[in-house]
Amino acid sequence: MVESKHWASRLFVVLNYFILGFLALSCLIPLIHIFAISLSDSAAATGGLVVLWPVNFTLESYAYVARRAAFWHSMLVSVVRVLVGVGLNMVFCIVCAYPLSKEKDQFRFRTVYAWYFFLTMLVSGGLIPLYMVIRQTGLMGTFWALVIPGAVPVYNIILLLNFFRQTPRELEEAAIIDGAGQWRIMWQIFVPTSTAALATVALLSTVYHWNEWFNGILYMKTPDQYPLQSYLRTIVIDMKLTNMGANDWQALALVSDKTVKCAQIFLASLPILLAYPFLQRYFVKGMVLGSVKG
Amino acid sequence: MEKTTRALSRHGGGRLMKELPFHLMLLPAVILVFIYMYIPLGGLIIAFQKFVPAKGLFGNQKWVGWDNFIYLYHLPGAISALQNTIIIAFWKIILHLIIPITVSILLNEVRSTGFRRTAQTLIYLPHFLSWIIMGGILIDILSPSGGIVNRLLGVFGVEPIFFLGSNDHFRFTLIFTDVWKEFGFNTIVYLAAITNIDPNQYEAATIDGANRFQRMLYVTLPNMRMIIVLMMVLSLGNVLNAGFDQVFNLYSKQVYATGDILDTFIYRIGLIDAQFGVATAMGMFKSVVSTVFISVSYYCAYRFADYRIF
Amino acid sequence: MKKLSVFLALALALTMLASCCLAEEKPDPFGKYDEPVTVHFVRSTDDTLDANFFSQHPDKTMTDNLWCDLYRDTLNVIVDYDWIVKGGDEYDQKLNIALGVGDIPEFVNVNTLQLKQLAEADLIMPLEDIYDAYASDFTKKIMLDTGTSPFDAATINGHLYGLPNVDSTLMIADLLWVRTDWLEKLGLPIPTTMEEVLATAEAFAKADFDGNGVDDTVGMAIAKDLWGQLFSLRGFFNGFQSYPGIWVEDENGKLVYGSTLPGTKDALKTLHEMYEKGLIDPEFGVKDGGKVAEATTAGKCGLFYGAQWNSIYPLQSCVNLDKDAQWRAVSIVPATDQPLKAQTDVGTLHWTVVRKDVEHPEAVVKMFNVFIDKNWGPNNENGIYYAPLDSESIWKLSPVVPTNPNKNNDAFMVLEQYRKDGDESKVTGEAYSILQKLKAFESGSEDGFALWGWERIYGADGAYGVLIDYQNKGMLQDNLFVGAPTETMTSRMSTLEDLQDEVFTKIILGESDIDAFDKFVDDFNALGGKDITEEVNEWYASVK
Repeated sequence: MVESKHWASRLFVVLNYFILGFLALSCLIPLIHIFAISLSDSAAATGGLVVLWPVNFTLESYAYVARRAAFWHSMLVSVVRVLVGVGLNMVFCIVCAYPLSKEKDQFRFRTVYAWYFFLTMLVSGGLIPLYMVIRQTGLMGTFWALVIPGAVPVYNIILLLNFFRQTPRELEEAAIIDGAGQWRIMWQIFVPTSTAALATVALLSTVYHWNEWFNGILYMKTPDQYPLQSYLRTIVIDMKLTNMGANDWQALALVSDKTVKCAQIFLASLPILLAYPFLQRYFVKGMVLGSVKG
Repeated sequence: MEKTTRALSRHGGGRLMKELPFHLMLLPAVILVFIYMYIPLGGLIIAFQKFVPAKGLFGNQKWVGWDNFIYLYHLPGAISALQNTIIIAFWKIILHLIIPITVSILLNEVRSTGFRRTAQTLIYLPHFLSWIIMGGILIDILSPSGGIVNRLLGVFGVEPIFFLGSNDHFRFTLIFTDVWKEFGFNTIVYLAAITNIDPNQYEAATIDGANRFQRMLYVTLPNMRMIIVLMMVLSLGNVLNAGFDQVFNLYSKQVYATGDILDTFIYRIGLIDAQFGVATAMGMFKSVVSTVFISVSYYCAYRFADYRIF
Repeated sequence: MKKLSVFLALALALTMLASCCLAEEKPDPFGKYDEPVTVHFVRSTDDTLDANFFSQHPDKTMTDNLWCDLYRDTLNVIVDYDWIVKGGDEYDQKLNIALGVGDIPEFVNVNTLQLKQLAEADLIMPLEDIYDAYASDFTKKIMLDTGTSPFDAATINGHLYGLPNVDSTLMIADLLWVRTDWLEKLGLPIPTTMEEVLATAEAFAKADFDGNGVDDTVGMAIAKDLWGQLFSLRGFFNGFQSYPGIWVEDENGKLVYGSTLPGTKDALKTLHEMYEKGLIDPEFGVKDGGKVAEATTAGKCGLFYGAQWNSIYPLQSCVNLDKDAQWRAVSIVPATDQPLKAQTDVGTLHWTVVRKDVEHPEAVVKMFNVFIDKNWGPNNENGIYYAPLDSESIWKLSPVVPTNPNKNNDAFMVLEQYRKDGDESKVTGEAYSILQKLKAFESGSEDGFALWGWERIYGADGAYGVLIDYQNKGMLQDNLFVGAPTETMTSRMSTLEDLQDEVFTKIILGESDIDAFDKFVDDFNALGGKDITEEVNEWYASVK
């Protein structure tokens, strides 16, 4: 009996390592594939000969990208966008989640406000009216069009307010007795005790701002202002062979340089991949939802 | 009578002063949301117009009542797009629960910290790659002629499967690849919940003679109950979101029958054909249905997990 | 066309009248303004400009470059852009939205649908008088080189609302690209009939040229957008007297949609048989041009239909990888004994329209004059302003790009003459640039080999020779509907096209049997095709 249990347990461990190892590898393949292509020579890549190992190894595509000012410029735009956009998201997230996390006896109008925010999750007006508002408010063609209209992240506010709710009320009451105002309570009690939740919210909004591409194309005045993903979108897009101008083949020939494309994709993925482990340590103690009372 | 009023107003005034900081905190957000989310709602009137872009939002557009909705109902593909959306979204919701929960439990059973850390970090990777990038890669590795996946299946004697081009397999492929891309990231919440489990519970179970499987079943899972329920009800709101970016980058005309979803349909009608009236009508329909599901999901989240907004 | 000529005559009469009475007031097509005139455009850009021009001239911008300088110096016109977007589809999308909020640029290049909407909303001005007064004689000649259709498309209720950025129609016709080194190895002739094409495809598919022992060669390559300019099916269908996507006359002189012709059914049937025999990649429905190009590059395919430029992309990569590979473009082939015609379409994709309140609408006509004159006029500086060797796409820096539609034919003819008499002095302008490329290739140098693709187009047995042959032998089938999209077309056509491609793909793959084609024709008519056909014929009657 003991023997068989031991045996089953061993089998489980082996299987477990195998399954997880397999899953982990399957997740690594796309990145290796891209990396391998970016290090291969152009003809081999265009011929589809590269799988997971570079064919005719060359660093030419990286040399080319290094010289490509538009790429680095859009990366800079993206970095600034993440810093400003996530910063704004976090501030709005905190200052909204905090009052909304109060109970009705502390803040009578919280339900009204909650409805006000909640409704925006249900309906949206669509592209044309939003474009109009962005133009009327003077954001069109400026960097701010990328960060202001979505500055209030309603979904994240709901996450955070539920986390704030778990902060013991006694802490707050004690602070009030000490004469602290609501602003101070928020910054000095709620925010410091919610680092895990804030890290989660920050990550969600970082990934959004890093990967979003459509607004960049739609709202910017010139392609120099494109964030990285908008820029990438213009180079990795599906090749449309119909409705081409008689001279568009030149663009086709250029855009099709697969190695350069992959080098840019790889470089573009790096910052967020590197940023992740940095945030990861906050999750160990518990992510927003993970700490819901059981 | 007078006394009460005075008392009330004094009391009310005090409360107002006390609550004033809350109003001030919310004020900037309220203004922003009003400008960028409520004002654009006015544009929904387009759904009832034969909207000609050149005439502009305030131009002399022709009112057509419910015509755009009726048109949609008769438009070939609209109904099947709705069906596809629901089927694909349904399976994604289910599997986005089961797989990450399973993987997080399996990860928790790994003793070697190094292995666990590495595996954990690797399975997050695909989450960070956009579908634009993933699309190109998947066409390669899922190809029936020479794709890695089919070569692997071939070893087990499976005939090559045309994952992206056959109506028999396309939905499955969408669901499977989406789960594959996101499962790692989705394990985070469950891992966090597991980390919060009191180690004493495991010790007690071990002393009671529970083996590894029994501990998983009777300690780990019950402790994750709340978070599982919560994730389940919250995901209900996505019932009409089958994943635009993914489908857009993977589908092709030959799989419209099983793979076209509401969002791709709206995109084609709106941005490609510039029939904004019809596209808005469809978007509005989607909003209405989603409202029902989101409301139900938040209600359930409140009832079962004390997760609430109101 | 009748209408157009009436108003052109009328306008001409008016100008003559004006010129006789106000003697000195004949407008100068190249007249310089006394005060600077700023013209606001919007535009799209692409990688070619980035890679070929801006990367070498980092100090230059879209509003500060040699074209802007030229417009400023010759006309005192300052070019400015309200916005610039990267990508053609993105341009259309952003423009539709911008128009939707009433954000109409002063000068803007639009497609026929946008033009029609803007004209009907009375937001842009009629241009026929201005065009007639200010266009130079040379401009007028070039603009009519492909017939009046670019003007007809922009004419609504007898008024011309947009200036066509004309382009070649001939270049759109399909050719058959075939790997001649494989033909030689197998001792096959260049295919001249559909039977021979099928036989060649079969022989290619069976042969294992790379000797890897795997049956991985396809007979004929197709990409998922069936009617593109690369890996196309148009040339194939044309062999069956079927003209997908364009409008042609039936025996009664009425216009019919080319995809619904009976020949289409035969073509589909043949394609399905090819699929059954394993001559067509079963994955074609999901592969875009780039993916299919991988197969041709890797030597997995030696036969496909496409445009004349295909040798530069993607075939150049194929020969780079395998120096023994050789391709050649030949005429499409007939499947029946009926006369063979290759289909073309209006080459003009954009028309420049002018907002109603613009003060100097004629500025844009003058810019057309300058653009055409500098590139193809008698004293042209094509080598500087169009496509100099070191920065290919420089002409795109101009906001308006009416192209001399016959420039490539002319260049080819000049080169043919040069090949006969060796007199280099007559080789000027664009032909001269091309000759340098051909010479570089013939030198056999490493750099020269990168110009193999050019030799395949302009060389002695180059692709252009075949196109000129089409033209001379009357083998072209134009799209006979060139008007602005009709009412029903606007709302239904793209759905119908999607339906068509879906049904055709399924028939080829055998997911539907061939009778699905008849059902498609019925569905096409029921879902709006009938109305569209009526509207198209109404238009046709009005211009006849």
